[in-house]
Amino acid sequence: MSRSVVRQLILKDLYLTRWMVVSAIAAGVGALAVMPMSVVSGYVATVSLICTLVILNIFLVMSGVSQERKDKVQLFFVSLPVSTAQYTMAKMIANAIAFVVPWAVLTVATLAVIDVTAIPNGIMPFWTVVLVYLLTYYFVLLSVALVTDSSGWHGTSIAAGNISVNFLIPFLLSLRSVAEHRTGPTAVWTPDILAIIAIEIGVAIAAVSAAVYVRSRTSDFV
Amino acid sequence: MTEPVIDIQGVWKSYRFFQLRDVALRLEPGQILGFVGPNGAGKTTTIRILMGMIRHDRGTVRVLGCSMPSEQAVAKRDIGFVSEDMRLQSSATLGWHMRFIASIYAGWDASYADVLLRRFNLHAEQTIKGLSHGERVKATLLLVLARRPRLLLLDEPTTGLDPVARHEILAELMDVVRDERRAIVFSSHNTQDVEQISDHITFIDRGRIIDSSDKETFLDRWRRIHLDVPSGAVLPPLAGVTDTSASGRVAIVTTKAYVPGLETTYTRSGITVRDVQPMTLEEIFVANVLSNRGEQP
Repeated sequence: MSRSVVRQLILKDLYLTRWMVVSAIAAGVGALAVMPMSVVSGYVATVSLICTLVILNIFLVMSGVSQERKDKVQLFFVSLPVSTAQYTMAKMIANAIAFVVPWAVLTVATLAVIDVTAIPNGIMPFWTVVLVYLLTYYFVLLSVALVTDSSGWHGTSIAAGNISVNFLIPFLLSLRSVAEHRTGPTAVWTPDILAIIAIEIGVAIAAVSAAVYVRSRTSDFV
Repeated sequence: MTEPVIDIQGVWKSYRFFQLRDVALRLEPGQILGFVGPNGAGKTTTIRILMGMIRHDRGTVRVLGCSMPSEQAVAKRDIGFVSEDMRLQSSATLGWHMRFIASIYAGWDASYADVLLRRFNLHAEQTIKGLSHGERVKATLLLVLARRPRLLLLDEPTTGLDPVARHEILAELMDVVRDERRAIVFSSHNTQDVEQISDHITFIDRGRIIDSSDKETFLDRWRRIHLDVPSGAVLPPLAGVTDTSASGRVAIVTTKAYVPGLETTYTRSGITVRDVQPMTLEEIFVANVLSNRGEQP
């Protein structure tokens, strides 16, 4: 029975976030549609796409995790026949799906737009690093929200995530491997690019693992 | 012998400014336990330990034969939990909640849910955010009752309700308790509500169970005795006296060990018994709490 309850909890979260997910995909696709039109529209599209994923990130975590706990709705769902660990797992899986699906759709769409339009394919590694960074940011924020009720920590994580994107982009553009190849006709996956992507994925996995570990050891769930 | 629905022994839980100390509770099938204590006494902590939501530091907790919190997922199949501060998904309708609960519990009784909808004057199409506090409590109770759990854990469900909503909820609970297989823990600081539905009362204060008995025993044992004490007469030291106040010749003795005929002990000492007053549960609760606080180091 517990397994089916976990499934229902996941479906419940996906149902409640469906409009956020659909809206994010629509906004992202809209941004990508204008990306190849000109340099200016490419810049607007880049900012819009990043903002779309950042906003989706914050909305999903704040409404699905923080608000559920703050509004004491969590008390209702934890009273169902699941263990607190299963509830945490359901929350993690549902939120992962709710973000990863639109993220994957928009990542594939971004790479496809670059591939089929006049935008040089050499920019693909740059975009991949940025998009994986946004994925990592999501999982870090989700983990923080699962572990603590503190609005201070949530705010700090959001601020750090948003500000860090502004440092990441100039940092990437200053990398020789990106600078040399970004206007080239083919995507060049240099070792430093692959290393950055690996670090991003590693940080996301570490954040999720730490959150599940800390939550499973918490003696007071509510 | 049937297994108790709740059996907790020697439970301790420490927080920085509060400690639950050596709590023991036992509840048999069909019993309705009124769990009474002032704010911050430890009622919510105890109930959340019973739900497996809070892990106790010491002691054993068994609910419906399951060890808590490790077997909470199994135990909670048959527990209905309503808490005063529990909220439903505000953006969803009551109907959505009913379908959600029905998808989890095979024993969901749709016809009973419809009866409760009408009785509580609720509408399945209503979104939760449009409901008043009283309607929200009734909606939560509907979601719990329509799956017919063996154990109801109700943590101050009537707090903050208007008299009509309180009456409706208590009336429904009275109906539920006719099913003798069900057990209920009803926590409150409102003794009137507890007195109305409970057959067993446990008082808790400052993290300790201070008294526990069936309701009739409480009401039979506790008395306030008005005495006329002439000069020179001395009140005999009687077991069970929790408070004595005197003003001139008039003394009022509160006892938790009244038995018919106790008056003769006073008359033998030359004291006239003017009146023996039964006490309400609220008076018993207050006297009990104050007397225990006085005895505590």
